[in-house]
Order: sequence, then structure tokens, then C-alpha cells
Amino acid sequence: MFNNQQITDLPQHKSIEFKALADKALLHAQLNWLVFYIPFSAILAAICYFNENFANNMQTYLLIGMPILILISMLYSVASIKLQGVAMRQHDIAFKKGIIWQRVTILPLARVQHIEIHRGPIERKLGLASLKLYSAGGMSADLQVSGLTHTDCKNMRQFVQDYRQEHTSTQAVPADE
Amino acid sequence: MSDLTPHPTQKTDAAHAQLWQKVSPWALVYFVVHFGVRFVRDGIFNLLPLGFVFVTQVENKLFWGQIAAAVAVSALLLYSILYYRNFRFCISSDNEILLNKGVFKKERLTLKFERVQNVNIAEPFYFKPVTLVNCIFDAAGSAAQEAVLPGVTQSYAEQMRKQIFAYKAQQQLEPDTEVETDEAAEQSSLFISNKEIAKFGLMSNMAILALAAIAPLINVVADVLEKQLITKVEGFYEQELGLVASAALFAIFTLFVFVVLIAVLLSVGMSLIRFYNYQLYFKGKKFKRIAGLLERHQLSMSLDKVQSIVIKQNIIARLLKRFTVEFLQASSGGAMAGMAAKKNKQTLVLPVLNNEQVNSVCQWIYPWFNNSALAFKQAERALWYKNLVLYALLPSLLVAVFCYFNELNYFISLGVLGVFAGLVTLSYQRYGYYLHEDNGRFYMVVRKGMIGVHYRVFELYKVQSASSESTYLMRRSGLKSLYIQLAHGFAFMPYIKEQDADFVIDFTLKQAESDTRSWM
Repeated sequence: MFNNQQITDLPQHKSIEFKALADKALLHAQLNWLVFYIPFSAILAAICYFNENFANNMQTYLLIGMPILILISMLYSVASIKLQGVAMRQHDIAFKKGIIWQRVTILPLARVQHIEIHRGPIERKLGLASLKLYSAGGMSADLQVSGLTHTDCKNMRQFVQDYRQEHTSTQAVPADE
Repeated sequence: MSDLTPHPTQKTDAAHAQLWQKVSPWALVYFVVHFGVRFVRDGIFNLLPLGFVFVTQVENKLFWGQIAAAVAVSALLLYSILYYRNFRFCISSDNEILLNKGVFKKERLTLKFERVQNVNIAEPFYFKPVTLVNCIFDAAGSAAQEAVLPGVTQSYAEQMRKQIFAYKAQQQLEPDTEVETDEAAEQSSLFISNKEIAKFGLMSNMAILALAAIAPLINVVADVLEKQLITKVEGFYEQELGLVASAALFAIFTLFVFVVLIAVLLSVGMSLIRFYNYQLYFKGKKFKRIAGLLERHQLSMSLDKVQSIVIKQNIIARLLKRFTVEFLQASSGGAMAGMAAKKNKQTLVLPVLNNEQVNSVCQWIYPWFNNSALAFKQAERALWYKNLVLYALLPSLLVAVFCYFNELNYFISLGVLGVFAGLVTLSYQRYGYYLHEDNGRFYMVVRKGMIGVHYRVFELYKVQSASSESTYLMRRSGLKSLYIQLAHGFAFMPYIKEQDADFVIDFTLKQAESDTRSWM
């Protein structure tokens, strides 16, 4: 068994400085909530309008509950966006997220199988994009970041692709690192 | 995928015209069986509504049933004959395997030698009298699209295997492919008796799966049985025991035991079909396994391709004092593909091993590995407290509330507390990880389980990504959970000291990023 003392020059992921998401990421998250809540409220309103029995029972609760729910969702987004961050290092990409369960994921660039950039209609309007990185064996994308600017996404993709070429060239000539 | 692109048939025919070969007429049997099985497996669910209509609406069932069966069988035969007539293969001078196949949609399959991961030889029972085999070319990453040459001679298949590996060795100068020709290497072997294989049927989840498969039909079955069987069984109990009240209960219980017994028998049968006369050889970092009742399937796997090794023992296996060992290769595209890979020939399963056999297999591959002697680092106590509250105290409180409203004895909730606390404690004690260095290579072993036990062994540089997770309370006590993604499966180690988790992540990443060996 080896011990901690043997390796002193290990790069520490703890010292990574994460870069916050784009300025418009919060706006994007809030708009996404609205896209969900507006039709949802409309359906509830329609039910209340047509079904008197339901309206009598639920109307008061809904009128109090829905704004609270929307407010909580919006506050959740604020906290969630604030706590997310990405960082590129020379050999890997790191992503942190989570409010209650805070998670840091680090994916070595040499293990990236493929990259996707997604842009929904709202994202396109705001100049944002989502980045998905896949490695082998994962259920879905190993690393998924939304709320980055499109240029950032493209730069990161370029970086990862360039790295792979660099890596294969070092494989051909085994150089000591 | 690109290595298996179907090309238009006309394209290169002229160049290879003289080399195109047909397979032996006996291969027709293979096609009939192959398409028959595929029809049953893929088509049966689509035909269920039709079957339902047939059962409920058609008057003369026997007559029309026979007609339908005759049509199906002749369609299968006709399709197989046409398929056989169109099936051509060719080993091109560019070191490729070319297949022309298809009846309605003709396709050309091109498989380059360097893309072939393994050449497996399968000997189905219907080829035994004519001593032919199926030669299966396993392509990396695409289990569904492997190329099969049915009905070739054993010597031809072995010659193909040699030719391909010789070509690969020459191309890549991979050390492990050279060993293939190294006859002097020491060979280890392991045989598992069929009595042991039958135990795998008891241990495996197949019994549970069989039950799950029956579940949707249980209503229909119960209706029929209600009239036919239960009344009889009930009558029997009434007569013999004279207990009118509990006779029905007994009858249902008997039926349940009966169903479980059938499921277990099915499971035992399935494991015998899969692993009959199990033989395993290990030579020069390469495994070769031969097993199977209806089809003798020969699987070869290089140790370097193995992503992680799982040694596990579930509750029944523990009673039987047996282990299951799995060598897992990379599976592309999620859990479903992983399942498919398991079913397919991508995973080497050693179904039933006793402790000594596990140790001897470990001696072949990792001499340092001894599951009972390794000094595992355990999870911190906080995990125990958390799980006690969440999974023992909380459920028992709920049960207590339930008891209160239904005026039941409170001791039930105490019992629940006791049992769940016991299970939580067992699970907490099982969690552990161990790092090891062997000849400059670094390995990690992660242990988990409750009543059973589950070890996962992997080489650190093969790791795909690493994560840590913590809640507010965990951060306050300086704890983190560790999650490591592998190309097949993952390793999870909850509640370890923050600096330990950080060290494991940093060290693992360094291995993955600085090691120039190919992880695949």
C-alpha cells in the first residue's frame, strides 16, 4: 500500500478556480421556469373555470400555493446558477454544481468520446448554449453544462478536439511527461 | 460504426470476384435456427395483440392455428434458403472480411482486420455430427453488428483467428497479441462441474426475472387456475386437514410455492444451457472460455481490454458459499448497452466459484489480490448515523404511526427498527476502498454490500471521470463521497475524509492523464 507522503507534487483539484456561468444564464433559467409555469397555470385556471366543484375546493389553495411555488423555483434558480462553475485545465475539464448535494466532476480530456453543443430557441435568442461531454460507460452525458455563451462553448469544444490530436501524437512518440 | 458501413454491392465486386466463397450447405440449419430465434424474440411482442384477437375471436382455433404455424414455418424456411443463396463471404487482399447478405435488402458488410477484437468460435449442437463451427468476428464497440461465418470447419476458423491476430500483431506490435503465438507461455485452467453450474441458477437473478415475466400474466393464469386447480387443492386441504377457513389460504400458498419452484427450475435450466461443461483457460494475459449446452461457445478476451473486475456474492450465494466473478469490457452508450453487452459475449462470467477458486483465479491475474487480507479503509461513522436515522428510525416511526391508527401492537415498529438498523449497520460495515501499487501500476478495490458482498477491482488509469459529492453537514465534518465512472460500471465510496477523497481524485486523474497506454 502506498501512502500520501510519497507523492507531493500531485496537481490538486481543490485549488481549481471555477468560472461562473454566463451573465444571461440566470435569465435563461428563469425563462425556462416561465415556459413551464405559464401553460401549467393556464391549465389549472381552465379546470377551475369549467369545473365549479374543483374551483370551490381548490381555488384558495392554488391562489396562495402557485405564487409561492413559482417564487421558490425562481430562488432555486438563483442559488443553483450561482453555485455552478466550469474550469478547463490543461488535461481535464471540471464542473461543479448543486445546492444541497454539491458535486464536483472532473473529466480527463483523453477520455472524452464525443462532444455535443445544444441550443434551444431561448438559448439561441440569448446567445447561450449547452455543452455535453460523453465518455465511455456513462448513462448519459458525463458532464453537462447549460448557460454558457455560445462562443465559450465553441472554444471549449475546440480545446478538447485539439487536445485529442495532441494526445495521439504523444502516443505515437512515447515522450516522458 | 464506420468500420461496418454497408456499401453498394456492385462497387468492388470485380476486384474480388474470384475470391467470393459460399458457406457449407449445413449453414442453412444455422440460418433457420438464427432467424427462428430472432423471430420469436423480436416478433413475439408485436404479435401479442394478434394472438389476443386469435384467442378471443376465432372460432375454429385448431384449424387456423395449424394454418398460421404452417405459413410461419414455410416463410422461415423460404427466407433462410434465400438468405443462404445470397450469402457470400470474402477475405480480401486488403485484409478485410467482406460479407454479402440479405434477401430483400442486400447489404455488404466490410470489417477490417484491425477492427476485429476477438475471433470467437461457437459449436452449436446441430453442427456436432458434421464437425462444423460458427466463426464469429467481434468488432469493437458494436456488439449487434458482429460478422458471423456459419458452418465453417474448425481448422478454417482457427486459421482465420491466427491470420487476423498475426496481422494485428504486425500492425500494432501490441505485446498481448504476440503472446497469442507464444506456445511456451504457462497455461492455467479452471473447470466448473455442471452440478456447480446448476447452483448458479439458484443464485442468479434469473429466477426473479422469470417471476417478473410471469407477473403480468398472473391474473389470466389465476383465473384459469381458480376454476381448475385451486378448488381442487382447496377440496384436498378441506378433506385432509378439515380446516375450512384456512383451506383457501393454503391453496394459494401451495400455488405460490409451485410457481416459485418452476421459476427456479427454469433458471437452473437456463444457466445449464449457458454454462454447460464450463472450461476456462488463462495463458499469456488472455482468457479463453468454452461453455454451452446447445452451442459450445468459445470466448477469448485479453486482460488488457478488461475495464473492471467484479467479484460478488449475493444472499443465496453466501448460503452456498460461492462467488461470481465478472470481467467487464467497455460498453458504449449507457446501461442498456451494458445489459446487452452482458447478454452478448462481451463479458466473461465465471458463474460459480468457491473461495479457493476465486483466490486461484486472482493468482493468475493479480497475485496481490486477496479479498480477506486487504486492509480496506472504511466509511466514516457519520454514514452510519445518517443511515440509521434515514433508513431505520424514520421507517419505524412511520410504522409506529400506522400501528397507532390501526390499533396494532407497537412491538411491530420496534421489530422494524431492529431489522432495519441491523441491515444499515451491515451495509455501513461493508463499504470500503483499498489502493494498491503493483509493479508501477495502480489499482483500486471498492467493496460494498449488505448481507452479500461486492468487490470491484480496476486499474486507476482506465477511469473515465471522477466526482465528489457533499452536503452542508458533510462539509462541516470534513467528509465527501467519492464517485468514479468506469467504462463499464462505476465505483462509489460514501463518506470518507475530505483529504482522502481529494487525494484519490487527484491521484486517479494523474494516472488517467499521464499514462500513455490505451485504456480501451
